[in-house]
Amino acid sequence: MGSVIKKLAIGLAVGGALVGITRALEFPFIFQMMFFGYAMLGAAVFMLLDAPSVKTMSGMKSLIALVAFYIVLCTVYISGASMWPQYDPEDEKGKIAKILGPKFAATQQGKAEELIARAKALDEQVKALEVRLKALGGDQTTKEPQTGAAPTTTAVATGDFMKMGEEQWQLQECYNCHKLKGEGGKKRGPELDNIGTYMTVDEIKLKILDPKSFMAEGFEKEWEKGKMPDKYKDLMEDGDVVALASWLGTFKNTSVNTPKPIKKK
Amino acid sequence: MKTWQRSLVAACALLALIGGVAYAQAPGAPPVEFPYTGNRTAVWIVAQLHILFAAFILGAPIFVVISEWMGYRKQEPRYDRLAKEVTKVTVILYSMTALTGGLFIFVLLATYPQFTTWLINHFFLVFAVIYPLLFISETILLYLYFYTWDSWKGEKKARHIALGVLLNLIGLVTLFVINGPTSFMNTPVKAEGISPQEFLATATLWDKIANYTWMPLNLHRIVGNVTFGGFVAGMIAAYMYMGAKKDEERAYYDWMGFVGNLIGVGAMLFLPFMGYLLAYELCDYDASICPYMMADQLSMFFEMQGAMIGLMFLASNYYIWLSMKRIEGVEKVRMTILAPIATLLLPLVMTKVMTDYPVPDPMSLAFLLPLILAPFTLGRFIPYTVSARTVIKIGFLMVVVGDAIWLTPHGFVPTGAKLVAELELPSDWNFLALMPAKNSAAFTLVFVTVVNYVIYNRAIRQGTIVWGKIDFASQFVLIFLAFSSIWTMGLMGAVRSLLRKYYHTYNLLPDFTAESFTPTLSYSAWWITGITVVFFVVVSFAIIVTLRPSDSKGHAAEGTPVPARAK
Repeated sequence: MGSVIKKLAIGLAVGGALVGITRALEFPFIFQMMFFGYAMLGAAVFMLLDAPSVKTMSGMKSLIALVAFYIVLCTVYISGASMWPQYDPEDEKGKIAKILGPKFAATQQGKAEELIARAKALDEQVKALEVRLKALGGDQTTKEPQTGAAPTTTAVATGDFMKMGEEQWQLQECYNCHKLKGEGGKKRGPELDNIGTYMTVDEIKLKILDPKSFMAEGFEKEWEKGKMPDKYKDLMEDGDVVALASWLGTFKNTSVNTPKPIKKK
Repeated sequence: MKTWQRSLVAACALLALIGGVAYAQAPGAPPVEFPYTGNRTAVWIVAQLHILFAAFILGAPIFVVISEWMGYRKQEPRYDRLAKEVTKVTVILYSMTALTGGLFIFVLLATYPQFTTWLINHFFLVFAVIYPLLFISETILLYLYFYTWDSWKGEKKARHIALGVLLNLIGLVTLFVINGPTSFMNTPVKAEGISPQEFLATATLWDKIANYTWMPLNLHRIVGNVTFGGFVAGMIAAYMYMGAKKDEERAYYDWMGFVGNLIGVGAMLFLPFMGYLLAYELCDYDASICPYMMADQLSMFFEMQGAMIGLMFLASNYYIWLSMKRIEGVEKVRMTILAPIATLLLPLVMTKVMTDYPVPDPMSLAFLLPLILAPFTLGRFIPYTVSARTVIKIGFLMVVVGDAIWLTPHGFVPTGAKLVAELELPSDWNFLALMPAKNSAAFTLVFVTVVNYVIYNRAIRQGTIVWGKIDFASQFVLIFLAFSSIWTMGLMGAVRSLLRKYYHTYNLLPDFTAESFTPTLSYSAWWITGITVVFFVVVSFAIIVTLRPSDSKGHAAEGTPVPARAK
């Protein structure tokens, strides 16, 4: 028992020291606790090393011990996994619907479902008109049903277009490799806050569709290895690429050291 | 299990397979909707169970035949007994592999008929000819191997071992063949400047099989299967040890547990590197897979993996510690002081070297090799030594440090998009979350385990093992290792499948169903635990059915008297 207390005391002392040091080094609180946890794990390991031997069991006693052991393992693994931060699938569902929506609409099943949806909408309109007709009296002549929504504008407002571009940045998860507005990026790709100064919208579009067309200065290895995926020409609609390129083209923050692109093709 | 019982299981498997194929013939049949679990989880459960059984029946024969050969060469009956007992369990689990395989195809066809048909069309020769032929050949060979065990002995033993080698070769080819479509779903063939659909239309079957991750997956699964087989053999031994009534039975199963654990740990030492190779190829195929794994949706799955591997290394080293306790004269064993010094320095030096000279720069080896080899090369010239106990305790300290480095995340968030300063590592310490640090942690765990086995080897040469007198806690360690390795296998299997994101086949065939999102780690853990428990129930049943009756017959001729001497 004395040995256990001694190891526990050492674990607490080491844990306390780690908390103190990490606090001084401005680690966030959760990391301080994590380091404390490591110290306690170490103490538990050393307690286990010097623990007295377990006597040999047999028969029902060993069976009960075995079942209890499995229950403990299951509980620890499920609760352990549940204690880590959990990704919310709802965050992804909307993204997936936006990315796969146009692809699904292009399939036979998608087209069929769209036709069914249209038929249903028309059916509802007819029913609504019938109700209105009945309310107005049967002798009244039927009006031409409105065939469409409000008159469409020929051009998408610029603001909406830019929003579309920003949305594509999020949907295609460009932020995983590129830093923009101080967010995202892990140095896998160049920071893009000043990209509008160096490249035209058409050039950015070309770079997205053919990643080998330009190389950022200082990213020779990444360019050689083809780190930027050559898949967006297959995954993105043309309008989406134009929107993303146009949005990126507006970034002309000269205070940020965006590497100079070099034309390769 | 009797022949008629095995035949019944095989018939059920065949029925499920034929039923599935017949169902697929129905034109325009809508997909089945599985209640409660949903379609994706239903496929997940059956596929994972099938892979667990398949991993055992492919992994176990590798060390079974080695054990049989060692028994023949050393003329030690206990090696032969170990090989035969594991084969008995393998035969029953083979039936379960066939049953779950048939069920897997049935569920896949019922839930994703269009995708399944598409995949079968692309690998028609594999699914219709090569794989069935290999499976039938393996079935014949396995049963032949098992049923000729007693008749092919003495002069015919070499013929029996050769049959075992052939069984393994067929098993390996089966694994390689089925890994073709599996890896294709993650990394389908592609070429620069051509759309995947266009390239696929012109690709040959070999192009499709020999994709980016095919060979890394083959290597990863071979090593994983041996690890898994070794730990399950350890678990079989633990069960039998717990149920043993005689000292000589305990002595034998203590030895078997040790050998099973040695195989499991020996193969596990290579697993981090095989996993790294697979991840490297995945990232090389498409760089956007990397952040999805390590920094985004699946990052916490990797945290859990780190925790599991850390625990497994702790447990395997704890087993060595408990094994050392039953060696008489262990207190005299000493080791050069360079061993604990190299262990203490390794994480720090390796992180620095690998940051300055990233893999595969040969300069990193130039610095690291002398450090790693120093205890074994220079050690004998250094007069200062420390006790085995001290070396192992320092090793445990460094296993905890290695675990800590492996587990430390860049941020406590499930996705990079939610990263805020209060949950992020300070930038000066960010190196702790990068690959050089993670590699150094993995290597420290491996190095400590190797050093501990070197000490163990020295201890059995200088002292005497008293088989059957091991601390009873060690049996729980063996079971823990088997359970944890299977759980980790389930976790990483889920990760590999989820890497396809919202595609059945990455970037080629989208999954338009409502279930194509990334599930939470907690949800996944529930199912992984459930699958592991089901697998354990079946394996436990198989062990009881096959090995308990043999207990009454006795094995007097095989065991050495207790206490058994290792020398």
